[in-house]
Amino acid sequence: MPRIVREAAVTWEGTVARGSGVVSAASSGAFELPFTIASRIGDPDGKTSPEELIAAAHAACYVTSLGGELARADTPPERLDVRCTITMDQIESGDHRIVSSHIAATAIAPGADAESVARAAEAADAGCPISALIRASATVTVEATLEGGD
Amino acid sequence: MAADRTANVTWSGSLMDGSGKIESVGSGAFGPLDVTWASRTEESGGRTSPEELIAAAHGSCFSMALSHALAEAGSPPERLETSATVTFVPGTGITKSALTVRGTVPGMDDAAFREAAEGAKQNCPVSKALAAVPEITLDASLV
Repeated sequence: MPRIVREAAVTWEGTVARGSGVVSAASSGAFELPFTIASRIGDPDGKTSPEELIAAAHAACYVTSLGGELARADTPPERLDVRCTITMDQIESGDHRIVSSHIAATAIAPGADAESVARAAEAADAGCPISALIRASATVTVEATLEGGD
Repeated sequence: MAADRTANVTWSGSLMDGSGKIESVGSGAFGPLDVTWASRTEESGGRTSPEELIAAAHGSCFSMALSHALAEAGSPPERLETSATVTFVPGTGITKSALTVRGTVPGMDDAAFREAAEGAKQNCPVSKALAAVPEITLDASLV
């Protein structure tokens, strides 16, 4: 199989408490975003964070897996909406850890029913490489609903 | 205190010919950003991908953890330049994340910097979340 390589670049200046960074998409050039510790742990104030980038990665990975599973079941989706929420929490040692990723998906898929969507959602979770990664150290939960379904 | 971060993604059409959008994120910092299967697995064509976003998450998390460790050691950095390169093999998953950092850190020697960088690689929350990645490498030196 081909190896696909994607790179990001980060510049950080100063201490964690008062410094700030910029993270950019070196492979695609699709984004260049400031981040700070305050925006990571407290109010985002319009700035991204590592955890938000993970949420975007997981949602974008999951949506393609779910589309593939629905197509495999002969009910290709017209549209999928996926929301991913990553939770970071302080654990007993005082360190911060990503403790969970929750996926909420809505599908418009002619011919599908609630049961087939639930099956596809589960298979998509099993097939999404980022679900597998996160599950090794945190909880991954998935809920899927069929829009306009029974 | 728990911090939640959210992203919303939509997809229309089939996997190969359809296209997706990272419509928005909770912070409002970015979106919409296009994603397609072709741009994920072939040329990016200016579009991001889950793997590029993981690289961005890892590089930004590592940089923060290193800056924290350096400040704790009494040598806060003037500047850290980090790159994170993620390798993805379809059907297998993410097989590698390679971190490279070049630091400008007054009053610190190379060995101490490398040790702090190794600790940041081990302990930053995204490294912990990527613990199942078979290979996470680090190349750290002072400018």
